[in-house]
Amino acid sequence: MSAQPEKPPRREESAGLMEYSTESLVPFGPIHPALKEPEYFKLVLEGERIVEVIPRVGYVHRGLEKASESRPWIQNMYMFERTCGICSFVHSVCYAQAVEGLTMFQVPARARFLRTIILEMERIHSHLLWVGLMGHWAGFDTLFMWVWNDREVVLDLVEAISGNRVHKSMNTLCGVRKDMPENMEDRIIERMKYLTDRARYYRDVIDTEETMLARTEDIGRVTADTAEKLCAVGPMARYVGMRRDVRLNDPYAAYDEVPFDIVTRNEGDVHALLRLRLDELVVSANIVSYAVKHLPDGPIRIKIPPTIPAGEHSSHCEAPRGEIFYFAKSAGGRTPERVKSRQPTLANIPTALEMLKGQTLADVPIVLTAIDPCFGCMDRMSFFDIDSNKKWTWSGEQLRQYGINKYFPERAKRQLHGQKFSSAGLGFKEKF
Amino acid sequence: MSELFPQQVGRYAEQAGSKLTTTHKNENVIEVTQEKLKEFLGHLVNDLSTRHLMTITGLDLGQNIQIIYNFSHERDTVHVKTNVPKTKPVALSIIDIVPGAILYEMEVHDMLGVYFTGNPWMDRKLLLPDEWPSDLPAPLLKTSRADEIRKRLDLGVAKQ
Repeated sequence: MSAQPEKPPRREESAGLMEYSTESLVPFGPIHPALKEPEYFKLVLEGERIVEVIPRVGYVHRGLEKASESRPWIQNMYMFERTCGICSFVHSVCYAQAVEGLTMFQVPARARFLRTIILEMERIHSHLLWVGLMGHWAGFDTLFMWVWNDREVVLDLVEAISGNRVHKSMNTLCGVRKDMPENMEDRIIERMKYLTDRARYYRDVIDTEETMLARTEDIGRVTADTAEKLCAVGPMARYVGMRRDVRLNDPYAAYDEVPFDIVTRNEGDVHALLRLRLDELVVSANIVSYAVKHLPDGPIRIKIPPTIPAGEHSSHCEAPRGEIFYFAKSAGGRTPERVKSRQPTLANIPTALEMLKGQTLADVPIVLTAIDPCFGCMDRMSFFDIDSNKKWTWSGEQLRQYGINKYFPERAKRQLHGQKFSSAGLGFKEKF
Repeated sequence: MSELFPQQVGRYAEQAGSKLTTTHKNENVIEVTQEKLKEFLGHLVNDLSTRHLMTITGLDLGQNIQIIYNFSHERDTVHVKTNVPKTKPVALSIIDIVPGAILYEMEVHDMLGVYFTGNPWMDRKLLLPDEWPSDLPAPLLKTSRADEIRKRLDLGVAKQ
């Protein structure tokens, strides 16, 4: 036997490939219970680039489908409304439509218009929330403050009509529970005009502001073919040029009586998603104004018996994040045989994984916020370097700072200088 | 266009030895066997460009487990049903025809215990916890009860 070499050659098994490449595994997430939809992404990094993403969802899976099998039809509607804390009303509308299809009753015209008004107000509120968060993660907090201030405008209107800000609980089977208050028409139209002006202004801001352009342009690209194959829905399908919008393709509520056109873009990057959602705000505001002006008279609901005839029926609606789908099967009793619900985020995860591939670690917060599934999972992530067995942890704030520092080094220097006097930055948090 | 589409689907359904029934407005239902499923879906997706799979629904029918592929094409919804026996719940994966089906198949696997051959992520959990006991029946079967599952999972936590 020959003498052993003093130093074994480094990484013998991969000598033929890239000798100094380090593949790191970054567990991303999973949970911050204060925010919507915690998810977990296992990122495989090659240097700074992401090569593989493995998703893991289900941390807040509460078994609503199983629970629905032991509850009355009407009670289930308010339960499914609690699926999401932002786009709650669209869930109850979609479930109600799936059940109403099994009965022979028609929803009154006034109720359909009232549903449309609330659905579009919900879309405005959800999109504004998202634009603010995009500003926050890109390092442009002024936008976040402005946009969330304007979001209060639409939340106040929702509260004036339905009595609640988030979970409207306004729907019922074959109708709505609350009528529009008197003398609301002028106020709604005036507020919608204000929101339209603000949306146009924000569009100019994101097109000219260097912070947003540097962080969003040419990031998170997928091709139209990939998005179609992976069954992307909502803005994630429309930002690559697909005309996929349930409001247009299969109109429900009063969408076939309201003139509107959907927005599509062709660039296919995160900046296109921002433009798309801001343009959709204008469309939604116009739909609300038109529906309020043309609100028909008549009853707002029909009373239906608590038993639903046997059969199967499905319904799909356009939530702010994309298409949602409900399937109801009745055996003729007071409780469902089976209810299936599918949310837009699950449909968009395969596309999101394609978006993340090839991006740098600094772009992960912005891309994951762009697809609008989850920002909670970003609040704590741990790093594990396979080569050196070194472990460290970053909070969401530190990761955000890392992204900002990478793109705007001169601003990072400024911030470092001001650190002694302010609580911003990394050093302060580590010290205390 | 929209009247033509159910006829075209019906023609392919007859080739697969089945028949198209329209239960409600724009709701088209086809029931095919496991052997004919992929051939039929190939026609539906590639020849009729019904490329949007909304979801995959699993149903417990007692003896069988029914898998419904819910497709959407403009105003029409196409529900393609297929049955697998509960004693041997194995189905063919369709991710070579519809790549977007991968997570939906994982969901049906988690909730009803159907194994999809050809899906590379079948050994992972999507919705159920990682420590889910392997001998516990799938949660959405009519025979499994929520309180029993809760009891078993709590016991598992207590042991640790």
